[in-house]
Amino acid sequence: MTNDRLIAHLVLVPLVAPLAAAAFGVLVLSRRPRAMARLALLAVAAGVAAIAAVIVHIAATGEPIVIHVGGWQAPFGINLVADHLGAVMTLMAQSVMVGGILYASRCKDRCVTYAVFYPMMLTLAAGLAGGMLTGDLFNFFVFAELVMISGTVLTACSDNRRGIEAAYKYFYISLIAATSLLVACGCLYAAYGTLNIADLSRSIASRPDAPLAGIALALLLVSFSIKSAAVPFHFWQPDFHTTAPTAVSAMLSSVVVKLGVYGLIRLTTALFPHDESLGGLLVMMGVMGVAVGGLGAAGTHDLKRMLAYSTLAQIGFILVAIGWGSPAALAAAIVFTFNHAFVKSSLLMLAGLVASRTSVKSASFGAITGVGRSVPAAGVLFLIGGMALMGLPPTNGFISKLGVLRAGVGAGEWAVLAALGVGSLITMVYVTRAFQRVWWQERPEDAPTTSPTRDSILAPALLITATVALGVAPDTLLRFASHAAEFLAEPGNYIKASLGGGEP
Amino acid sequence: MEILISATLGIVFGVGIHQMLRRNVIRSAIGLVLISNSVNLLLLHCGAYRGLVAAYTTVSGQQSDPLPQALVLTAIVIGMGGFSFVLAILYVFAVRDRTGDMARLSQLRH
Repeated sequence: MTNDRLIAHLVLVPLVAPLAAAAFGVLVLSRRPRAMARLALLAVAAGVAAIAAVIVHIAATGEPIVIHVGGWQAPFGINLVADHLGAVMTLMAQSVMVGGILYASRCKDRCVTYAVFYPMMLTLAAGLAGGMLTGDLFNFFVFAELVMISGTVLTACSDNRRGIEAAYKYFYISLIAATSLLVACGCLYAAYGTLNIADLSRSIASRPDAPLAGIALALLLVSFSIKSAAVPFHFWQPDFHTTAPTAVSAMLSSVVVKLGVYGLIRLTTALFPHDESLGGLLVMMGVMGVAVGGLGAAGTHDLKRMLAYSTLAQIGFILVAIGWGSPAALAAAIVFTFNHAFVKSSLLMLAGLVASRTSVKSASFGAITGVGRSVPAAGVLFLIGGMALMGLPPTNGFISKLGVLRAGVGAGEWAVLAALGVGSLITMVYVTRAFQRVWWQERPEDAPTTSPTRDSILAPALLITATVALGVAPDTLLRFASHAAEFLAEPGNYIKASLGGGEP
Repeated sequence: MEILISATLGIVFGVGIHQMLRRNVIRSAIGLVLISNSVNLLLLHCGAYRGLVAAYTTVSGQQSDPLPQALVLTAIVIGMGGFSFVLAILYVFAVRDRTGDMARLSQLRH
């Protein structure tokens, strides 16, 4: 019993540790960025360790861990529900955040010495963990706002002069997403009188055609699509990548968009599992994402921007899998979501690393052609990461795409699979082109000289190692994801776990 | 009262959208505030708010649901934080770029 209580309190660590460290850092360590970086790393690493222990517990017992905050039983109080999906998503977010903070602590940008930088990274981590663990829709809104404000502030404090402009755009678009979510909360509350996700799931199943329920569904879909940068809600996404600090853009494109993906999975499995048109719509949006993202990436002239477009395509793969909705497809979506975060964050860091060697600190192909020749190790890592993006073994990208392929064959969706195949071929084109320009070609004669300082390669190397490790030994993740999908396939499981089975 | 609140929030929301789509960044920031306030009004309205008595009244038949009022409080605080950040950005635009014209501020190109 005491052991169970201890495990239950571990769920709070990824939330509380970063927030406490951020508060302490702002008050005490604001003039000591190196100490602050170490504290931030420690806090997020503690979150990773705690959520890993929680996952081991969930895998052993098969039961989610629920905490009733303040001792009030849900749905009257607010609860945190660490089910399979929430826990594995939190593990992904926190692990990649460790990489991001590690990169920031060893990079040459001026912005990381500002007093707000690490506290904002920490609130970003806490917001992600909170959003993925909470069992209450309004609470999700609060944590999503925390993520959004942290993300915009981090973008605005970039060394690049236009960072402010990118932050302004990002803020406005995110605000539309937040407003939609808030109005959806209002609609659902007016229709069902509750905002607890499990309680809503039960009420919606018993009265699916209540007035305002359809509007709430549409608004939630818009909100989560904007957050996950799903086409056609993607236009804000590539813009800030050219200006945000590397550590920040690596986080925004890899884990922050996953908050939206998490929301979409909850939407299709818990809130509106019986809506027939939702799945088809998501598959359509996914295919559009693969096409727009692939073509956009092939047509752009900036390495970071190319990777941002590629995120649209990868999110498209995930949306297709969520849209199919079978247990195999959901498991594939979870695995894809998990793996993509590591791949994309490391690739963006490598792009930033190369850009940090140029005198203009830009990742546009004109500026970085041939710069990679002086950092061959980064080239090797980029090639491995690129293989993961294309979906080649022995990387985890292969495992992700294999899962989606299997689910598609099982569902007999040949047309969609063909589209995804073409998308993968386009990935091959733009990744090899980028590699060739940066690491293969000679540096042009008239190009400005490269500066000797550069960011450390440690963080992307660690993330790429994780990428390969997840590709060579994917069994644990695959097994856990398929358990998660089985758990999600029956909405009653989540309701029972969150509300304790009894009638309120 | 219901119709009054509904009409008010509809008008405020509409004006907010209109202001937000203007080219001037200050006007669009004002639109932002209007929109977030109209959403707050909507949330308040979800709890059968009549504006006659406090949420904790004991007079039967007069109570309104306190939860949406708690939600609105949270949303107001978040909105204020966000808006102060927008004001800071506008200050940087004013000092550095000396213009409020969205078309001239937008320099990020493909």
